[in-house]
Amino acid sequence: MDYEPFPRQLTPDQRVVGTARVPDEQRRTTPPVPVKIIVAGGFGVGKTTTVGAISEISPLTTEAEMTMESIGVDDPGPATSKTTTTIAMDFGCVTIDKTLKLYLFGTPGQSRFAFMWDDLIRGALGALVVVDTNRIDDCYPAVDYFERAGLPFVVGVNTFDGQLGYNLDEVRWALAVREDVPVLSFDARFRGSVRDALLVVLDQALHKSIKLNSH
Amino acid sequence: MTYPGGRDHPRRDAAPGVRPFLRTKPAPGQSEAGDTNSTLRPFVITSGRVDGPDPDINMETQVSVHPGAAPTRLPPEKRAIVTLCVEPLSVAEISARLHLHLGVTRILVGDLRADGHLEVHVLGDDFPDPETIMRVIRGLRAIS
Repeated sequence: MDYEPFPRQLTPDQRVVGTARVPDEQRRTTPPVPVKIIVAGGFGVGKTTTVGAISEISPLTTEAEMTMESIGVDDPGPATSKTTTTIAMDFGCVTIDKTLKLYLFGTPGQSRFAFMWDDLIRGALGALVVVDTNRIDDCYPAVDYFERAGLPFVVGVNTFDGQLGYNLDEVRWALAVREDVPVLSFDARFRGSVRDALLVVLDQALHKSIKLNSH
Repeated sequence: MTYPGGRDHPRRDAAPGVRPFLRTKPAPGQSEAGDTNSTLRPFVITSGRVDGPDPDINMETQVSVHPGAAPTRLPPEKRAIVTLCVEPLSVAEISARLHLHLGVTRILVGDLRADGHLEVHVLGDDFPDPETIMRVIRGLRAIS
């Protein structure tokens, strides 16, 4: 992108956007079809690590500041009816090919952020719920939400330092998820491990998609 | 262009933030709840609009410069978005690269689309078809 202090004679294959010149061939690029997988979980369970392990770009963070009606436990009293929350969301991407790009969005899993999940899961393939066995209840809202929304999801227990605090059956029992929801362990630091966990999510998504298409 | 004592000014972020004269402290009595670093409420850029971002514009939605866009002067934030979108880019990426809040980015992208500067590549809300998912699976398997 070059900026020039003085206007120059433009050739037909150039045009002006603001003061920037855009070469003609670049704007013909057809955008890839985006697909997305949600990575949900409480603070510090390894969402950013998970996204970073597989993403081809280092995870970017975007802030979403939202004003919402305060409800339930967050209600600050009758004086204020609205509250503002800033959420940091990490995301990364994997280019599958020229026409297909996988996006991963890491989102806080607490119920007070659920107001933005409706937006988030629109068109999503599925979700990986990251669990830390020391704070297993952090993921309940996410599990509840995805279950109700009918989004395929997989529970992934992050094995910090290769240690699994509880075995997977105990985690499944604690979460009381349906039989067909896979509960697996993975290590968020390793690409191969994250890839395998995502493949299980995709497998669930494929099942749903085939079911939808057969009707 | 130089400003008096320009060298002494702390280096500003290259990303378009808020115009400097708008950087004011919150009025006394105004709530400072949880907001310690940002000096300006982000939705000033959107003229206070917080609602009604185009439902077509999601975080992963691809945005690119409209081929027929007429050159016009735009406010810095919008110009930065148009400059970035020479190649198709997702809304989330625009937001992260320009340090603009996601909600603000969605509104600005919606405005730019309405004004014919940007093309928003809208996809249906349908669940992806099996073939697409198979392609993602094959693509991921290829990663080692």
